[in-house]
Amino acid sequence: MTAFTALLKREVFSLLVTPSVYLLLGVWYLLNGLLFVYALDFSPEVQSDLSLLPQYLFGSSLLVWLLLPAFPPLVTLRLLAEEHRLGTLEPLLTAPISDAAVVLAKYLSASIFFLLFWGGVLLLFVLLASLGAQLDWARVVGGFCGAFLCSLLFLATGLFASSWSGNLILAAGGGAALNYLLLFLPAITENADGAVGAVARAAHIPNMLDRGFAAGLLDSYAAAYFLGLSGLFLFLTWVRLVSRRWVP
Amino acid sequence: MIRVDRLHKRFGAVQAVRDLSFEVPPGEILGFLGPNGAGKTTTLRILSGFLPPSSGAAAVAGHDLTQASIQARRATGYLPESFVAPPELRVGEYLRFRAGLKAVPGARRRRRVAEVTEMLGLGPRLRQPFSALSKGFRQRVGLADALLADPPALLLDEPFGGLDPLQRQEFRELLRGLAHDHRKAVLFSSHVLPEVEELADRVLVIDEGRALALGSREELLSRLDQAPRQRLRISGDGAALGRKLPEAFPGLEVLACDGGELLLQLADAGQRGALFRWFACRGEEVLAFHPDTPTLEDLFRVLVAGAPGAPEEAA
Repeated sequence: MTAFTALLKREVFSLLVTPSVYLLLGVWYLLNGLLFVYALDFSPEVQSDLSLLPQYLFGSSLLVWLLLPAFPPLVTLRLLAEEHRLGTLEPLLTAPISDAAVVLAKYLSASIFFLLFWGGVLLLFVLLASLGAQLDWARVVGGFCGAFLCSLLFLATGLFASSWSGNLILAAGGGAALNYLLLFLPAITENADGAVGAVARAAHIPNMLDRGFAAGLLDSYAAAYFLGLSGLFLFLTWVRLVSRRWVP
Repeated sequence: MIRVDRLHKRFGAVQAVRDLSFEVPPGEILGFLGPNGAGKTTTLRILSGFLPPSSGAAAVAGHDLTQASIQARRATGYLPESFVAPPELRVGEYLRFRAGLKAVPGARRRRRVAEVTEMLGLGPRLRQPFSALSKGFRQRVGLADALLADPPALLLDEPFGGLDPLQRQEFRELLRGLAHDHRKAVLFSSHVLPEVEELADRVLVIDEGRALALGSREELLSRLDQAPRQRLRISGDGAALGRKLPEAFPGLEVLACDGGELLLQLADAGQRGALFRWFACRGEEVLAFHPDTPTLEDLFRVLVAGAPGAPEEAA
């Protein structure tokens, strides 16, 4: 077993035994369940065309706008900030493992764990299909992939915020603030003229989710956008970890 | 095994380590002695790979800390000053995780964890969460962690903190065994002088990040420019006799007198026999009579507090 695998296993295990994460998961399932029931019972659009349901749950619904930016930082806050607060960062960073491997293992563990969040939502569609509903599975799977890719970006910003100090509130709040900025700034400025408007439209996350993935399309631009920005924030996390050695 | 060459570390305007050079060969215990804030922890953190040096070089088992940090860390077992493990993990889980992190092969991992836990008396604690352990057992877990990969070099920052006298004794014996029987290079820091005096083969005294002296206890103490001292206890009035002593023994000084207890500074060691006879001739029963040998504490006071008689700076 490599040092990377050992750390990844330990981080996944750590998330699995953290009670607060299960509280988050419960709230997430509850809200998504309510939205699912609401869409089926009260949305005339969905009632007339069931293929629109993935757009509600994986696309630009209220949940994506308000809750998705806040949840990933609540999962990642413990990954580095908690280690810093407890004093366990020193034993970790003096073990024979590179800083890049530490960042990647922690990020991957949070990503694996976050699959549980979206996996539960996906299960609602499986449940619906088992009751005889005719679903457009391209839209369901596409929506799931888009939402998960977006979550990968929000987990990366959360990890970056978590690397700054041992203050858990700053780690969660900073990550959520970054995510809301990534979500709202393009939405606010998309009608601006010139380059600003063009950049805002190119970075409009709800559009990417709603018109691309949740519509059953594999949007390679959006995938590259989410993965590229995730990579950038992981790189910044690594820079922060390395710089912490120079300025503790 | 551990080599430090002209090491400097600066934090902004603060120079934490200045031009520090020393070596710890295999099988030796080097005690790192200095007051709080002397630069001991910073030096150990550099050697553990946690902090980079501002300039100079440091290597463990031939691996340069800046060029081959991972290899150097693999050759090092490090116990930080305030060792903490994740509170949710049980001792056994933590040690197995650390063994994996240190790339101890899977087949050997359980055996190695069993070996170090047995060596440190942690067997009954394996199922306890780290947060439930006393300070002494936490230190043992930290040392077990440092020993897991059987590294050739050990760096221990204030390893005796929080241990009771019995645990200290066990710890000392364990470290002696590791250095002398298993040929490990051990560098440990402390500001508790008797610990260093009792355990270290050589001592490095530092203050304000600078090496003040380096050598064996005997070498260092021989550098103290100090006249022989004699401590004695008599049955009679020490004060009255003490007043007569300087007349009878030219160059002798009475440093302290408390009832029948006297501390004398002799002009030379030859005065000891004459002194004993002098008391006997006056019908005084000498209850105790032993030389007052200088200790590392005396040297430390001279070096760090700048007391008179300070020796030249060590090479």
